[in-house]
Amino acid sequence: MTSEATILQSEVLKALRHPIVVADVLRKRKAMKRELLKQTNLIPTRIAILGGSTTSEVKSMLELFLLAQGIEPTLYESGYNRYSEEVAFENPDLWNFKPNIVLIHTTWHNISEFPELLEAEGEVEQRVHREMARFESLWEKIHTELGALIIQNNFDLPCLRPLGNLEASESFGRVNFVLRLNAELAKYARAHSRFLINDILYLSTQVGHAAWFRNSYWYNFHMAVSPTATVALAHNVAAMVKSVYGKSKKCLVLDLDNTLWGGVVGDDGVQNLMLGKDHAVGEAFLDFQRYVKNLQRRGVLLAVCSKNDAENAKEGFSHPDSILKLEDFSAFKANWNPKPENIRAIAAELNIGLDSIVFVDDNPAERDFVAEQLPEVAVPNLGADVSSFAEALEHERYFEVDKVVQDDLSRAAYYSSNAERSAGQAKFSNYGEFLESLDMTAEIGPFVPVYLERITQLINKTNQFNLTTRRYTTAEVVAIADDPGFLTLYGRLADKFGDNGLVSVLIGQILDDAVQVDLWLMSCRVLKREMEFAMFDALVEQCQARGICKIVGVYIPSKKNSMVAEFYGTLGFSPAGEASHGRQLWRYDVAATCSPKTQYIRRTAESLLVTTSVASESVISEA
Amino acid sequence: MNRDEFLLEMDEILDLPAGTLRGHEKLEELPNWDSTSLITFIALAENNGVSISPGQIVTCSTVSDLLRLAQAESNAS
Repeated sequence: MTSEATILQSEVLKALRHPIVVADVLRKRKAMKRELLKQTNLIPTRIAILGGSTTSEVKSMLELFLLAQGIEPTLYESGYNRYSEEVAFENPDLWNFKPNIVLIHTTWHNISEFPELLEAEGEVEQRVHREMARFESLWEKIHTELGALIIQNNFDLPCLRPLGNLEASESFGRVNFVLRLNAELAKYARAHSRFLINDILYLSTQVGHAAWFRNSYWYNFHMAVSPTATVALAHNVAAMVKSVYGKSKKCLVLDLDNTLWGGVVGDDGVQNLMLGKDHAVGEAFLDFQRYVKNLQRRGVLLAVCSKNDAENAKEGFSHPDSILKLEDFSAFKANWNPKPENIRAIAAELNIGLDSIVFVDDNPAERDFVAEQLPEVAVPNLGADVSSFAEALEHERYFEVDKVVQDDLSRAAYYSSNAERSAGQAKFSNYGEFLESLDMTAEIGPFVPVYLERITQLINKTNQFNLTTRRYTTAEVVAIADDPGFLTLYGRLADKFGDNGLVSVLIGQILDDAVQVDLWLMSCRVLKREMEFAMFDALVEQCQARGICKIVGVYIPSKKNSMVAEFYGTLGFSPAGEASHGRQLWRYDVAATCSPKTQYIRRTAESLLVTTSVASESVISEA
Repeated sequence: MNRDEFLLEMDEILDLPAGTLRGHEKLEELPNWDSTSLITFIALAENNGVSISPGQIVTCSTVSDLLRLAQAESNAS
C-alpha cells in the first residue's frame, strides 16, 4: 500500500474518533468507507439488522464504524418493522444469510402495549411479562435456530409525557413502564451468555433526547433515531462487536506529571502536587485516578511511561491522596528515553501487541510523536483539561467487554508475579531446572460451560501462538462444544507463583478416523513452559480414547504467527503438503501407546478424569 | 454557504472528486443520489439550522434546484 493511501486511512480513522464532527462523518461517509475497505487483514462477520423502524442509516453507519475497528461486515436488513415476523415465520432470506450476529434495532415505538391510566399494579406487571414473553420467544428462536449472538437495544424513553412527572413515579406511567421493561431485559442478559444489551437509554441521554428523536425523521422516514444520533448508536454497537471479536484494548499506558497529578513531581515535590479534594484541579486529577483504578480493577493492565527520574516518579504515588498505588502497575518505565521506545518495551514485557495499547499523555507533542511512530497504538485526543480525560477515554469505548470473567480480575496480579518468575529464572544453571522449580500443574479437558466466555475471548485476541488465527463468536464456540463431531480442549496452567488462568485452546474436527486441528492457540504469557506439550499429550490421549489414528495439523500463515510456522514439525508431525489459501498441512500418526512430551507439567487428577471421559462429557448446554 | 461551498459539499455527499458538480446536473442522472444522500442532505441542512422536508426535495430536478431550496429555506428561517 502506498504511503498516501495509509495517510488517507489514518485521516479517516482519526475523523471517526473523539471528538467526532458528525456533519463531516455524514458528508464524507461514502469516501470514508471506500478508504477503509482498502485495509488489509479485516475480520469478516455477518450481521443481520432486524428493525422495528427504518434501519438504512443504522446499516450505513454501522458498516463505517465496524470497518474503523478492523471488522468487515456483510449486512442484512429486515423489511421495515419486520423484526419479529422475519424470525417467527423464518424468512428464508434471513435463514440463508446465516448471521453471526443479530442486531435487534427496536425503540420505545415497538412496545406493543403501554399501561392504561390508573391501571392496577398487578395489571401493569402482567403487561411487562407479556412484552418480555413476546421478545423472549424471538430471542430463543434466534439462538436455537440461527445460532447467532444477539445484540438487543433496550428501550429509550417516549418523547412526550402526557402525565408530566407522574410518568416516572406512577406504576402506569410510561417512563416507569419503560424502566421496568429495561430491568427485565437486563435480567435476561445476565442469565444468557449470547445476549448483549445495546444501552440506547444511556445513548439517548448522552446525545440529548431532542437530538436523539426528531419528529421530521420519524414522520418522513420512520427513523426512530435521527441521523446524527445514529452516529453515536453505530459507534456503540461497533464497540460491542469489537469486544465480541476480542479486539478491545488490554493495556492503558499513562504519563505521570499533569496526567495523573497536577504539577511536576521532580520539580515541585510530592507535597506540592495538585491531587486531592481541597483544590478544583486536584479533585479532577483524583477523579481521573479513580476512573483509571476502576479500569484496572476490571482487568485493564496499567503501565507508566514517563519522562522522569525513576525514583521521583515512584515517589509521586506516595502522595497521601493518590488512589493509584505502585502495585497497580504491571510495567513501569520512568526514564529519559523516547516514549515510543518505552512503549515498545512495555509491550514486550507484558507479552501484548502494540495494537492492545492505549497511550494517555497530557502533552500533545508526545501524543503526536507516539501516534506517528507507533500507528498501532491508540492515542486519544485528550484535550488540555484533566476534567475531560476520562470522558475522552470513555467515548472511544476502548475497553468494552462482553463479559467480565474471573481471569480478567486476576490479570494484573499475574503480571506482577511474572516479574518474580523472570527473576527466579536467573538463579538456575539450566532451563530444565528452572521449569522444574516452577512446580507447574495443568488442568486440561474438553470445553465446559464455565470457561466458554474466556475461551472465546482467547480465540479472538490471540495472534502470535495461533496456528490458524480462526475467529469464532461465543455462539459458534457453544455450538462446537455441543457437537460430538468436534474434539475440544482447554488448558489452565498454575505454578508456585500463582494461577496463569486459562491459556490454551484447541478445536479439532473429527473426520472418520482422523482429527483435523482447526484451531490451536496459546497465550504468549506461558511461552516456553511446555504447556503446548501438555496440550499435545492431552490431544493424543483423546485420540486414543476415541479410536482416532491420525492427527492433521493446519498452519495458516499470518502477519503475526510466524513463531509457530514449524510448530507441528517440532512435535514430530510430517509435512503433508499445501491446501487451498496457503494452508500448510501436517500429519501425525497416533500410536496405541506413546510417552508424554511434557516433562515438567503435572496434570491435575480432575483434568485427567475429564480428559479421559469422552463425548458424553463434552455435551454442553448454555449456562 | 455560497454556491461554490454548496457544490463542494454536494461533491462530498455524492462521493465525487471535488469540483465535479457545476449545478446543472439532473439529480435523477447522478448514480450516487440515493436515499442515503437525500437523508444526509436533510441532516446537514438541519445542522445549519435549515429545515427541509423530503416533499420539498421531490420538487427539485437539478443540483442548483437543491441550492435554491436550501437558500430559500435559510432566508425564511
